[in-house]
Amino acid sequence: MIINFKGAKTYLGTGGKSLDINKRTLCFLHGSGQNHLSFIQQARFFAYKGYSVIVPDMPAHGFSDGNPCKSIKENAEWINDLLVKLNLKDMVVIGHSQGCLVALELNRILKNSLKALIFVAGSNEIPVNQFLLDLSKENPQKASQMMVTWGHGIDGDMSINKWPGHSHYGEGNNIMCMNKPTALKYDLHSCNDYSDGIDAAKNIKVPALAVLAKNDQMTPLKSGLKFVELIKNCETHILNCGHFLPSERPIELNSIINSFLSKLK
Amino acid sequence: MSENYKFDTLSLHAGHIPDKETGSRAVPIYQTTSYVFNSTEEAASLYNMEVGGHLYTRISNPTVAALEQRLAALEGGASALACSSGMAAMHLVVSAICSSGDHIVASSKMYGANINLLQHTMPRFGVNTDFVNPNDPDAINRAIKPNTKLVFGEVIGNPGLDIMDVPVIAKICNSKNIPLVLDATFNTPYLMQPFKHGANIIVHSLTKWLGGHGIAIGGAIVNGGNFDWGDKDKFPTISGPHFALGGISFWEEFGPSALIAKIRAEGMYNFGPSLSPTNAFHLMQGIETLPLRMKKHIENTHSILNYLVNHEMVEWVKHPDLETHPDHEVAKRILPKGSGSIVAFGIKGGREAGKVFIESVQLASHLANVGDAKTLLIHPGSTTHSHLSSEAMKEGGLTDDMIRLSVGLEDINDITKDFERGFKAVKKLNK
Repeated sequence: MIINFKGAKTYLGTGGKSLDINKRTLCFLHGSGQNHLSFIQQARFFAYKGYSVIVPDMPAHGFSDGNPCKSIKENAEWINDLLVKLNLKDMVVIGHSQGCLVALELNRILKNSLKALIFVAGSNEIPVNQFLLDLSKENPQKASQMMVTWGHGIDGDMSINKWPGHSHYGEGNNIMCMNKPTALKYDLHSCNDYSDGIDAAKNIKVPALAVLAKNDQMTPLKSGLKFVELIKNCETHILNCGHFLPSERPIELNSIINSFLSKLK
Repeated sequence: MSENYKFDTLSLHAGHIPDKETGSRAVPIYQTTSYVFNSTEEAASLYNMEVGGHLYTRISNPTVAALEQRLAALEGGASALACSSGMAAMHLVVSAICSSGDHIVASSKMYGANINLLQHTMPRFGVNTDFVNPNDPDAINRAIKPNTKLVFGEVIGNPGLDIMDVPVIAKICNSKNIPLVLDATFNTPYLMQPFKHGANIIVHSLTKWLGGHGIAIGGAIVNGGNFDWGDKDKFPTISGPHFALGGISFWEEFGPSALIAKIRAEGMYNFGPSLSPTNAFHLMQGIETLPLRMKKHIENTHSILNYLVNHEMVEWVKHPDLETHPDHEVAKRILPKGSGSIVAFGIKGGREAGKVFIESVQLASHLANVGDAKTLLIHPGSTTHSHLSSEAMKEGGLTDDMIRLSVGLEDINDITKDFERGFKAVKKLNK
């Protein structure tokens, strides 16, 4: 659905069902240079399981207009304002990659409405190398292509996809091309500049789940494992794939999330 | 570890990794109509397009999916869908995008069945087409109307071998937010990848060079993922609510793969032109050697062009790699590896000479296909167009002395020796 939010056209994926504020809402937060299509195989799945689902396209991403947020904190504040506007009171926040950093900050802002946090291919820090930072400014399309290549495991290389006929690389490149050209630069700088992750992770009081990827080159497994150590009682799973875990291992990821959600109060 | 494999490697591997249960190196032929659901919940999630998977072979099949994913990788597309023939692919694209009252701009120099579909069949369903010269960008631009939903052409025209200037036409289409759909059968992704030149959708007859061995009929649609279908008034079938699946908007839910999702959910579901898993396997076997075969096809084509151009019994030779071809400069620019392995030539002595030539060769096969590993010939004047006068053939861009040659992979000396046999018989006739 499209709403006008902070003066800009804003798109919220709802998984093909209407948003129902009386139900538990799963809020999916996409990663750097991505949009709601990162969660193609999660949004409909959980909407059809009876959850209320929102997958916002952050400003300047996907179908949303507006100016890109320039820091992780700004991203978190934008999401918080959106959730308040939508009057959502019972939420589970699911972040992928940069979305995990935003979720960490959101945890500091949201009070009673947050019921759990789920981190997919995440960490408490996502340093970005200078080459990619520069390229995202000079040639965002080339930077996107490199991220798509690095970000996938062997399934990307070999065009193996659970969705018949779909190509991880071809689809991934075009998803990133849907964003405004400056979006990637600000996303990557936001990740690189974020340094409050350790404190934010230690501050988590709600149930937490982390699903990490064995062959992750964007947020390496080693970093993810250090991250989950910081969170009290974080349920952790490791899947054999690359960073784009939601599209590389959708069935396994959905199953893990579904099981985790079923245990929540 | 990401490798970003190259074309030759993808031709062999894309779409398949040996499974852990059997270790089968080759892509298994999943000769099944349907798939056991582990639970009612799983079945529902497949029907609702919540997650990917297979529920019925009319819609998708693991062997066919391996072929589709290989094609998507080779073309650099977002997604692909394989179907029963190239013509089925063409019809699926047109019927997915267009509705009654819509309009198409198409090349006037195309394969007869493509023209028949647009000129005679689709108007019965309210979709009309204006045919224009594919080498005249201004004419294409002028032909586009407010209700035009796609521009269609062939990269290398069949049978006239005209070359469409894809980057120029793509720019026009892009400026008017209309998808450029190309039949890329004659070039294959080895010779040219249309998405790199701005095209949006590719259709293939896999029966030809991609399959390459004349044993299986098949077609495919490859979706570039580079077209914005967001205008709901212009493209309601892709971005507006679908009649099923809870009113799904394919554009919102699948973005770059919206067209393929739409075709799978509607075209495959309602029309049913599915590709058999066994044919998908055969076609994939062909694709494994596509780079090797195309190199040899082009090498042999260039040798045969040299032979024909210098032959006393040959009136004329047409191929885009010849400087005499009107589209030679365009061909050099967009098809630098070569412009395919179809050659047209005229034989001295007219229609009767053509007939004698065809009946005298032994190695080359006289049939109506192209793109086989074996050399193929046809003389339209005495076969497919035998009912037409010389004048009527000329109107259709054909001449009664014309032979259409699909150059195969045999030893070039054996091909020319075979042709000498044909020319000798024609010489006798001319005496």
